[in-house]
Amino acid sequence: MTASALIYLFLFSMSNGLNAEAVYMFDDASEEKRFYSLISEIRCPKCTSGSIASSDVPVSRDLKQRVYELIKSGSSNEEIKDYVKQRFGESSDYKPAFDGLNYILWFGPFIFLGLLMAIFYSKRRL
Amino acid sequence: MNRIYSLLLIVLPVLIFIFFGKVLLTDESELVSYYEPKPIPQFQLLDLQDQQISPSAFNNISLLNVWASWCITCLVEHPFLTQLSKNDIDLIGLNYKDSKASAQQWLQKRGNPYQFSIFDPRGDLAFELGVTGAPETFLIANQQIIGHVQGELNQEKWESIFLPLIRGIQNKDQ
Repeated sequence: MTASALIYLFLFSMSNGLNAEAVYMFDDASEEKRFYSLISEIRCPKCTSGSIASSDVPVSRDLKQRVYELIKSGSSNEEIKDYVKQRFGESSDYKPAFDGLNYILWFGPFIFLGLLMAIFYSKRRL
Repeated sequence: MNRIYSLLLIVLPVLIFIFFGKVLLTDESELVSYYEPKPIPQFQLLDLQDQQISPSAFNNISLLNVWASWCITCLVEHPFLTQLSKNDIDLIGLNYKDSKASAQQWLQKRGNPYQFSIFDPRGDLAFELGVTGAPETFLIANQQIIGHVQGELNQEKWESIFLPLIRGIQNKDQ
């Protein structure tokens, strides 16, 4: 028990050191909220899929730093998104498109669940 | 009831096939090859020889290649770039997040295909250009960036992406 606790503690302290992240200081909570919602809506240009919030590749770090600086200098959310789009392209605005084949992604699981339930209940009746 | 089962057995795999077929057959490299032309961003930087460089350095049709001494893929494309530099295209380097000493050492050891290399240790100009890593290459004509290749530039990408753009520019000029 003590040994495993020690091992966990050791691993935990290691992981903290490895994942040392940039610290962003904000004047108030709304600024902080804006920052975290913005970085979750900007696509990581180096990743297959994911926002810069979930990525630690150098270009995402640069982007987060830039978003932080722009918030600090008083830019609006729209201005920041446009700033990023001008440099990294339209696709950097990270909103999964709700159209076309993506409907399968959105509704597929529910259709599948519905089918399974239909089969399940019809089998029970037999 | 059995009819519904057999119908499902056919319809479901077909749907799955269509979905994954669509996903797998979409050529992503074609998606990124379209590039909305935009002017070279304003910058004022030194090259590796401490010469002042500004956007006016891009006179002719030029290639701007983002490279670094720590970049493995840059080594892979180096022979192709060397071969390109013998054509009458301006090949200009953008040394990205590197130190001057290791950059110069790298060029000395492997050979320098670039007319000059802009020194961008913090990646400021690279950020303005939308660089996501090294190597990347931009095609510049008439002070406009008209093409962009991410990753290794090779014969195939040269012929399929940059050459048609260059021909388009040359036809317009004539």
